[in-house]
Amino acid sequence: MGTESLAQHSSGVKRQEEQLLVDGCRRGDRESFAQLMRLHEKQIYNFTYRMLGSEGEAEDLTQDIFIAAFRGIRSFRGEAKFSTWLYRIALNQARNRIKYLSRRNFFARQTRRADDGANTGSESPEGLADSSPTPEQWTMAKDLAAQVQECLNQIPPQARQILVLRDVQGFSYDELSEMLSLRPGTVKSRLHRARAAMRDCLSEKLE
Amino acid sequence: MNCGKYQSQFNVYLDGDLSLREREKLQHHLKECLPCYRKWSSLQKTQEILQQLPNLDPPEHLSAVVMARLKNRRLRQPLWFSANLPRWLPMGVGAALLLLISVVLWQVMPSQYPWQSLFPSSRKNVATSTLPAEESQETLTIRKGDPGSSVPVMVLRVKDFSRADQELQSMLRSFTRPPLPERESSRSPHARSARLFQLQVPGQRLPHLLRELHKIGHLDQSQVESQKLANPGQQKQVSIRIVVVSNGSDVEIRQLREGR
Repeated sequence: MGTESLAQHSSGVKRQEEQLLVDGCRRGDRESFAQLMRLHEKQIYNFTYRMLGSEGEAEDLTQDIFIAAFRGIRSFRGEAKFSTWLYRIALNQARNRIKYLSRRNFFARQTRRADDGANTGSESPEGLADSSPTPEQWTMAKDLAAQVQECLNQIPPQARQILVLRDVQGFSYDELSEMLSLRPGTVKSRLHRARAAMRDCLSEKLE
Repeated sequence: MNCGKYQSQFNVYLDGDLSLREREKLQHHLKECLPCYRKWSSLQKTQEILQQLPNLDPPEHLSAVVMARLKNRRLRQPLWFSANLPRWLPMGVGAALLLLISVVLWQVMPSQYPWQSLFPSSRKNVATSTLPAEESQETLTIRKGDPGSSVPVMVLRVKDFSRADQELQSMLRSFTRPPLPERESSRSPHARSARLFQLQVPGQRLPHLLRELHKIGHLDQSQVESQKLANPGQQKQVSIRIVVVSNGSDVEIRQLREGR
């Protein structure tokens, strides 16, 4: 069995297991839902964090997403992957939360706090530097992560979501197309604009 | 050198989807064009930074909190899902119901335009005379704004319609100045069996006109709402409408006036 077919087999098994858990949830089995949640909570939490830029808000939103998923599990017909369906809920909830927070100037306040050096995010910068960073490298990496998040907060939500899903979380164009209910061509052109907006913002900050 | 063309390929290149030939061309261009190289390099760096963003661990209590919040919640049960019915069903049922209601309304409404009953304000401004012809059931409608739409209507039943029609025309010309306009006097689509005359007569001459009308045919005053004719002598000019119909026709006149 080649590497590719092994990966396919493993993904098929995972999907079958997931389907069993989904079936359990549909019967009202909360333990099945708890297991499903454990499988996806990290991904969803990171998505919400990148969308909102605040750990507290991300936690609240993640809770709401899973509660909405539990309540609507019977409308999941298994035509798409469970993760795709879950992300559709996440995108919808995130859009609403961003609108709500924008009306309360949440993102402007976040930017001001970051400008004042008050960003106390607990992001571990390991991924941005060498495996054993010096204190200077650690600080620089942490600053960079904060600046990246600041730029994500500044670009339009539509661009933010596509950039997070593709470049941060690594979803394929097909998956994006399904999650966003857009044609692949539209996804590509939106991503093109989102990357350009992000590049402009980061170039300005890092100069 | 077409920088725009090469720059539009940056994203495809970044995703690794550019063909070998195009990739070579782009790489060659990037070696020669410094502005393009700078743009490319900053885009590449941006993507690298995003891809290397650390994954945060969710709070340990997250699932416990969600499960606690779910304790008192129930699953939504969409009817069409539980019965394994197609998704278009609710919309289809809605459309069918709408169609059914429309058909029922169309059948039940007594007036020519069913929506008039739904909007009473528009209905009270319309005076309707129903003139079933011998061959076909058609309706004569006089709307507000038509000359004399709020004027009393009299129905004159005659044996020989065409003869009575001529007599009436010549008789009415002696009552009204200027002469009766032909266009306004023939509003009925059934010129062979019914005709509507509209005229103004001096109040003093109205009793005389009524006597003349009685000579031509049977004046059906039971269907006439003629409040304005109560004291004709006190009015200088009285507006009236006369519908002349052949005897066999079953005529129903309904006058709806403003404020009613």
